[in-house]
This record gives sequence, structure tokens and C-alpha cells, in this order.
Amino acid sequence: MIRLENIMLRQGDFELRDIQLELAAGEYGVLMGRSGCGKTTLLEAVCGLRTVAAGRIILGDRDVTALPPAERGVGYVPQDRALFPTQPVREQLAFALVLRSLGQSEIAARVEELAELLGLGALLDRLPDKLSGGEAQRVALGRALAHRPSVLCLDEPLSALDEELHDEMCQLLERIHSETGVTVLHITHSPSEAKRLAGCHYRLANGRIESDE
Amino acid sequence: MSDSGPVGFRVASDKPFLIGLGVLGGSYLLIIVAMVLADLVFLNYADQPLLGNEMVKQGRHVDSGVTVATEKGRRYFFRAGKNETGLRSSGGAMFGTGLFTATDDEVTLLAVESGRPVTASLRPEVRLSGIAVTNNVATLTTDEPHGLLWGEFIRVSDADAAGWDGVREIADTTLHQISFALDSDGAQAVSLGLSKPNPLVQALRSRDIRFSIKLSLISCTLTTLFSLWVAVPIGYVMSRFQFRGKAVIDTLLDIPIVLPPLVVGLSLLILFRYMPEWLSDFVVYKWPAVVLAQFMVACAFAVRTMRVTFDQIPQRFEQVALTLGCNRRQAFWRVIMPQAKGGLLAAGTLAWARALGEFGPILVFAGATRQKTEVLPTSAFLELQAGRTEGMLAVSLIMIAAAAVVFIVARTLGMKRIFA
Repeated sequence: MIRLENIMLRQGDFELRDIQLELAAGEYGVLMGRSGCGKTTLLEAVCGLRTVAAGRIILGDRDVTALPPAERGVGYVPQDRALFPTQPVREQLAFALVLRSLGQSEIAARVEELAELLGLGALLDRLPDKLSGGEAQRVALGRALAHRPSVLCLDEPLSALDEELHDEMCQLLERIHSETGVTVLHITHSPSEAKRLAGCHYRLANGRIESDE
Repeated sequence: MSDSGPVGFRVASDKPFLIGLGVLGGSYLLIIVAMVLADLVFLNYADQPLLGNEMVKQGRHVDSGVTVATEKGRRYFFRAGKNETGLRSSGGAMFGTGLFTATDDEVTLLAVESGRPVTASLRPEVRLSGIAVTNNVATLTTDEPHGLLWGEFIRVSDADAAGWDGVREIADTTLHQISFALDSDGAQAVSLGLSKPNPLVQALRSRDIRFSIKLSLISCTLTTLFSLWVAVPIGYVMSRFQFRGKAVIDTLLDIPIVLPPLVVGLSLLILFRYMPEWLSDFVVYKWPAVVLAQFMVACAFAVRTMRVTFDQIPQRFEQVALTLGCNRRQAFWRVIMPQAKGGLLAAGTLAWARALGEFGPILVFAGATRQKTEVLPTSAFLELQAGRTEGMLAVSLIMIAAAAVVFIVARTLGMKRIFA
């Protein structure tokens, strides 16, 4: 579950105030809005990468407003994917698990599982610069899902893909959602994408969120 | 003419622009290459003959030229100056520079034009007149003043007897005598060949210059390590954090770059007058001063490089790492530093090269004491002051070689990273 209560965000002259949003556990929510309306800023606030000036962020049954990003249990896929350039795919998938001091075999099993889910089996030893756009997107998804977060934040995950891949990726996102039951907050400016994927639609405009069912 | 496309608009050729780029860039590259090549070519790598005093007296050419008395059968080294075309003796004429054997009692220097000052040089080759060995010390007596000094080197060669061959350090000299240590007693020789080894050999054999090579290598490496140790955190903070007074700190960091190097040295010297006595006794005019003087300048360049390096790594990587479970320290070491390796290498190379060439601050803050605070640039300076251009050049070549090795190593490691 994601609940935002009276969130206020400030960045220079830009300001979002009184943002309310509620997304039930296991829902697929799509947040739409024009470029520059603050979608990414809001997503970063949910991930803990930006401090909120006021309001509360509740993920699951915890108030995470004051928690560091590491402890919020979110998976974050930024728009540019930000795959770590020096690490092969296997290490990227294992990154969050190594930090949690899991055992070798446990990590290997989870990486295997993720590779299966995302079709990355053949790519595990590649470096990010040898991956295509779609492959890189799947690795970024896998990396964010590795530690079984309760919330997955996707920042325009399909914007850089061509038509064909776009469709494929939509199917993948649907499958991930149904198989893992993760709560997804997906931001985009494409209405067709929103229509296809979303259980819940939200629109961020003029500093407010409107929910259009 | 109804189907004609857009006409009348023509864009000027790109050629002049590209040629301009090529000429400007190319001429600079040419100077860089020529500069280094000139050093390599100028140095005379052959051994030089051991020569006596100058025989040509100052004066002006009259009519056909100046005559100089010579000894029949002796070898002489002649160098024509700008006012001579060569030299004539009964045995024939010689033009240019080199050794010749006198065939008569006099030679005539051929003037370009009567009335011009004499600029040629004629020096006799020194011959051995006596060899004595006592207590493992050989003392050679020469028939002409040999002009060598204590601490210089001489190459001794002997085809017949063992134990003589090699480059020897001169332990004692008088006008006509040279003494040096021999490895074993009882070595006897009848005739020995003497020559001056080339300046590079002399420099590499010299105890002072050996010390300065050692001190340079050690101090530069220390400076590089200290610089990176400081530059990484400063570069990271300046790249990632926004805080009040950042612009001021940014300016402060540039001071060592814009300040004249001598002033850096002087400022350090004055600063240490305010330090506790034990500290300034330990640092000033001692080797720590060398490292500190190098560090002050080299570190500023390392900081610049590291800051640019971190600036080029998007913050996104840290943000993702944070959501995956890192704290800031873990994100830095696991995600950012692996990407900064190339920049770290570049900063290290730059700091090392800067430190190697640092001279002004060291001269002021550490002095130029032989075997104590002498680094390679100091050696070059001392050689120049002693009037030995060739020695200075030899020291410069050592510095070029050291810089080249570090540069190549850094580049190779950098390449490995790229091709891995």
C-alpha cells in the first residue's frame, strides 16, 4: 500500500503542496502528467531520495517519512535505468542481496529466479554497455525486484523503447505484477500505456493529484 | 523552369575550416615532438676524449689566419668557430670538428675573413705519462692538465691487463694527476685509454644525482598518495553537496594553481615560522619540506581532476544504490569509486608529473642541499649553475624517462579498464 498524506515538496521555485494519494496493496497505479509537473520529484520522495517539506508517506503499514531509502523497501527504476557500468548483470541482480548479507547459495538461487522471470539467462555475465535498450530495462527491473520490495517505483520505464519492445515490456510488467503481487507506482505521460496497464489512474496537474477511475 | 528545386543558395566549403584546425593543432603537436627529440639528439652519447687546455689565444685573424704551435705526432681536437672554415697543416686541410694527428710544428686556422675575432678551439689530447698503484689506489700522471675535478668520472680501458676497465670515480686530482680506487691491488698496466664518459653515464653514476633520483621518486609517490587521499573526499563533497560558502571554498581550492609557485614556497616558509619549533625543525630545509611543497601544488590539480570525475558520474547511481539498501558510504565505495577509477588514475598521474617538475617552492622551502633536499629539477638547476649544460640535459632526460614511464603505465592500466 502507498499512502501519501498532505505531501509538500519544494525545489527552488517549484512547489507541490497537499498531495494526497492512496494505492491499495497489490494494485497497479499509473501516475500521469505533463513533463515538468513534478511526477519524478514525487516518485523520488516516495523512494526517500528527496525530503518532504511536510506531510507523511506510508508504505504498507509503516510511516516511512523519516526513514532512509535503504529501509523503505522500495524498488526504484529511474528513467535512465542507471545500471552500474562496472558490474555485469549478475552482480547488479545480486547487489541488494549482497548488502543484506545473504548466503552465496541463497543469492545464486534468487538471481536464477530473477533471470528466469525476466528472461536474462543468457545475459548474466554481460556488462551494461553490451545490452540493448529492452535488455537493460529488464535488468533494471530485476535489480529493483531482487530484495522483494513491497513497492515498485517505475519512472517512465517504456519511454525509450520502440513500438514492438513497448508491447513486450507491457506484457512483462503485467506478468511481474501478477506473479509477485508487488504494489506498482508507474509514471508516464502516455495515455495508451496508462490505459493498458493501470488498475488505478492518477493525474498530476497544477500541483494536485486527481484520481480518474 | 517550374520544377527547379531551391537554387542560388550555396554553402561555402568546409576545407578552410578543417585546414585551419589541422594547421593550428598540428603545429603545436610538431613543437611538442620536436622539443623532446631535440633533447635526445643534442646529447652526445659517445665518450669524449680527455683534453688539455685551450691553445688558441684570443685575438683577430690576420690575412691567411692564425698559426698555432703543435707537437708532431700528437693528437689534437679542433672545433671551428663561426669565423673559421677549418685548419691547414702540412699534412693537408681539415674542415669541421674532430680529432687529428699533427704532422708538423704548426697548424694554421683558416679565417673566413681577415680581421674577424678568432673563435676556433684547439686542445691537445691528454696523454698518460705515468701509472702508479699504491694501496688499491691508482694514480695516473698526465702530460697536460686534464681539467677533471674530484667526483667526476673517467672511463679507463685497457686491452692487456685485467682490473682496469670501467668507469671510475675520481677520488683525488691535481693539475697533472688523477687518482681513483682499483678493485684489486697489484694490477699493472703499461698503457691505458682514457676518455670522458657521456653525460648520461656521468649523471647516473654521480652519487648526488643518484640521491636526487631516489628522493624524487619517493617524494613524488608520497605526494601522489597524499594528494589522492585528500582529493577524493574534497572532489566528492564539491561534486555532490550544496552548502553555504561553497563558492568560497571553490576559489580557495584554486589558489595553489593560480599562485606563482615561488610564492607558494615562500608562504610555506613563512607559515612554518609560526609553527612549534620541533615541527619546523623537522620540516623546513629537510625532505618533508620537499613533499609538502610538491603536495601543495600537485594536490590542487588532483582535486580538480577528481571533482570533474565525480561530476561526470550521475547522482542517479547513488540514488538507486540507496534504494537497494546502501548507506552513503556503501554507495560511494560500491558504485561510485569503481566508476571513478579512470579519473583516479588520471589524477594520480597528473599529481605525480606535477610533483616531479616542481622546482620553485622546493628551492625556497626545502633549499638545494646536495644529498639532502636535492630533487631532479634541483639537480638540473645545480648542473646549469655549474656551467654543465650537458649534465643538465642528462638530468632532464632522466626526468623525461621517469615521466614517460609513469604516463605509459597509467595509460596501459587505463586501457585495460576500457577493454576489460
